[in-house]
Amino acid sequence: MAGEVMVVAEQVGSKVAPVTLELLGEGKKLALKLGQHLTCFVIGHNMQDAVQEVIKAGAQKVYLADHQELAEYKTLHYRRVIVDELGKWTTPPHTLLMGSTTTGRDLAPRVAAFFETGLTADTIELDIGPYEHTSGTDETKLGYFPECLYASRPSFGESLKARILGPWKDPQMATIRPGVFPKPEMLDSAPEVEVVNVACNFQGSDYRVEIKETIRELETKVDITAADVIVAGGYGLGSGEGIDLLKQLADCFENSVIGASRKIVDLSWIDYPHQVGQTGKTVRPKIYIACGISGALQHRVGMQKSDHIIAINKDPDAPIFSFADHGIVGDLYQVIPEMINQIKSKRNSENKELKNA
Amino acid sequence: MNNKDLDIYVLIKQVPDTRSKAGVNPDGTIDRAKAGKMLNPFDAYALQAALNAKKMGGPNSKVTAVTMGPPPAIDILYQALEHGADNTLMLSDRRLAASDTLATSYALCQTLEYAFKQNGRPGDLIFCGLQTTDGDTAQVGPEISERLDFTQITYCEDFSISDNEVHAKKIIEGGTQLVKAQLPSLITIANSYQKLKFKTLRGAQFVQDIKRSSKEEQAKFVEIIDLDACHAEELRCGLAGSPTIVSKTWKIGVVGGNCKMHQGKSVPDLVGEVVQGLPILEEFVKI
Ligand SMILES: Cc1cc2nc3c(=O)[nH]c(=O)nc-3n(C[C@H](O)[C@H](O)[C@H](O)COP(=O)(O)OP(=O)(O)OC[C@H]3O[C@@H](n4cnc5c(N)ncnc54)[C@H](O)[C@@H]3O)c2cc1C
Ligand SMILES: Cc1cc2nc3c(=O)[nH]c(=O)nc-3n(C[C@H](O)[C@H](O)[C@H](O)COP(=O)(O)OP(=O)(O)OC[C@H]3O[C@@H](n4cnc5c(N)ncnc54)[C@H](O)[C@@H]3O)c2cc1C
Repeated sequence: MAGEVMVVAEQVGSKVAPVTLELLGEGKKLALKLGQHLTCFVIGHNMQDAVQEVIKAGAQKVYLADHQELAEYKTLHYRRVIVDELGKWTTPPHTLLMGSTTTGRDLAPRVAAFFETGLTADTIELDIGPYEHTSGTDETKLGYFPECLYASRPSFGESLKARILGPWKDPQMATIRPGVFPKPEMLDSAPEVEVVNVACNFQGSDYRVEIKETIRELETKVDITAADVIVAGGYGLGSGEGIDLLKQLADCFENSVIGASRKIVDLSWIDYPHQVGQTGKTVRPKIYIACGISGALQHRVGMQKSDHIIAINKDPDAPIFSFADHGIVGDLYQVIPEMINQIKSKRNSENKELKNA
Repeated sequence: MNNKDLDIYVLIKQVPDTRSKAGVNPDGTIDRAKAGKMLNPFDAYALQAALNAKKMGGPNSKVTAVTMGPPPAIDILYQALEHGADNTLMLSDRRLAASDTLATSYALCQTLEYAFKQNGRPGDLIFCGLQTTDGDTAQVGPEISERLDFTQITYCEDFSISDNEVHAKKIIEGGTQLVKAQLPSLITIANSYQKLKFKTLRGAQFVQDIKRSSKEEQAKFVEIIDLDACHAEELRCGLAGSPTIVSKTWKIGVVGGNCKMHQGKSVPDLVGEVVQGLPILEEFVKI
């Protein structure tokens, strides 16, 4: 019989990461199809609230590793609690899911290699379905498999989608891109579910890596995800002063904010809450104006679902033009002031018309 | 600075060349037969990191570039030598076809163990690229690290080595982190690391010389081995050894490729086309 569907929760500062809730929502559907439970592996320190949170999001059983060594993510410590616990089981989970964040992508391959099992990277679609293996050099693989994890992922610069599956060995693992699945409806209060305390038997070799300092802004003074218009800047601004120009353009629009590439956040031209992309926010505004942003995949995954993307870049071959809707090839220091000009004069003439009417 | 000699390995992969338009279909998919080949661009950063690490070790430190791939992949090994790698090693075997990341990490691990044995000692550092541009899973590095029981630093942006330890700056969710890891360590290098420098004159000359020399002489610097040489079990490699398969692919070319380009006109004209041609802009303009 197939095992359960398990989500490995991700936390920062004892708070459950959004991707974990998204995975619980989607994991629930898979569990229903399999006729199995949805469980959640929570790892961290002082995780009581987090446990309530994952139960409200649908977890039907929780495995909890709560230890001060686990307060911050560390590859070897997190790996230890997972492989020790799951290694004891006679029936492993059918499906094991993690976020395709920098953390999930660091941890999942280690767990997969430990169990010698398959792992699909950066998945954007999940399902359960049948598969028949008819050809191949290894006869032990032949057969009909009614309940495989289907994990589909984009590849070749998002031009192709590939379905990866591997029913031969459980757990069937996948990392899932944050922001692609909706957050599930949360229950008002957490029902009673079993919480299993997982042993933390760290070994000397687990302490070979030490965190010296974590530089991270948890404060979210601005929320860029709710804006209708995002004017985003990249390294093409040339200096932090360029942000002023972006602000002037953003000021032309209602409900607008400034977005940024990671590169200029790293350079401290703007604060982290403005960052769009894999390690920043995933946004979906009506209009996204990318100014001096090359369009690296890690930026793209955070904004490609915007309704209308306008890109301003002086390099006609910049990758951003391969997925923007409107591309303006030019120097942003000429293009943006002109844009502000035209928007303002258009508005003024329309206001005049309104008055005259 | 420490004086311990470092045995440094860098894993590099040959991928289809997507820079030129040849072999790239209009929908963005790749025609592997027509496309040229190149060094995985992310591995160029890893190579530079390996060369930098060599300077942080003792005078007998050395860099070995390792690849798994079909025979033409030898080109990227020569390229590594031109940039200053000391040695190279290639695993090439038909039985490796259709390896997923688990099978790839197994085969590469056997290759590394082979090199460690030849060398008389295990490696100190293994550098990997962030990911490749064809499979782009970013899984092979951490899977190798698990198999070899190395410490692991992913998304590394900068590092230094002293006293058997690596101090590194790495990208994490929402920020950066400074970590200290004991050697041996496997490090995946982010694309915000230094760009690969030009080939060295000495390296270029060296490669010219070995290309002209006898097969035996070539094999000293570009060693090619098969599964048997590195004692890899056939059933753990290739299709048989892969727990996953690609069962189906779809084109999703609609994402992109439809960009309306505005160029080659005066700035007011370019901007005018967009402002006039995108009525939705007006909906959000402040009145
Ligand atoms: C693990 C990991 C996570 C990451 N997460 C993120 C993330 O969340 N978000 C993110 O954005 N990046 C992220 N990155 C970094 C990403 O790979 C790119 O390095 C980054 O997005 C590049 O930023 P950029 O486009 O501003 O700079 P560049 O790539 O340097 O591009 C600058 C662009 O500006 C153009 N330009 C220059 N001058 C002008 C001018 N005067 N007028 C018009 N155009 C001009 C240039 O042609 C160029 O295209 C991540 C990387 C890694 C490894
Ligand atoms: C469309 C498509 C989707 C795929 N999806 C998956 C998937 O989800 N899961 C899965 O297990 N397999 C998948 N594969 C198979 C995978 O691409 C191959 O296993 C490949 O050999 C290694 O993975 P990668 O290219 O993703 O390497 P990555 O893990 O992205 O590579 C990281 C680093 O490892 C090193 N490295 C990787 N390969 C080599 C090599 N051959 N020689 C030397 N160094 C190397 C390099 O330093 C590289 O920068 C997919 C293949 C395709 C075509």
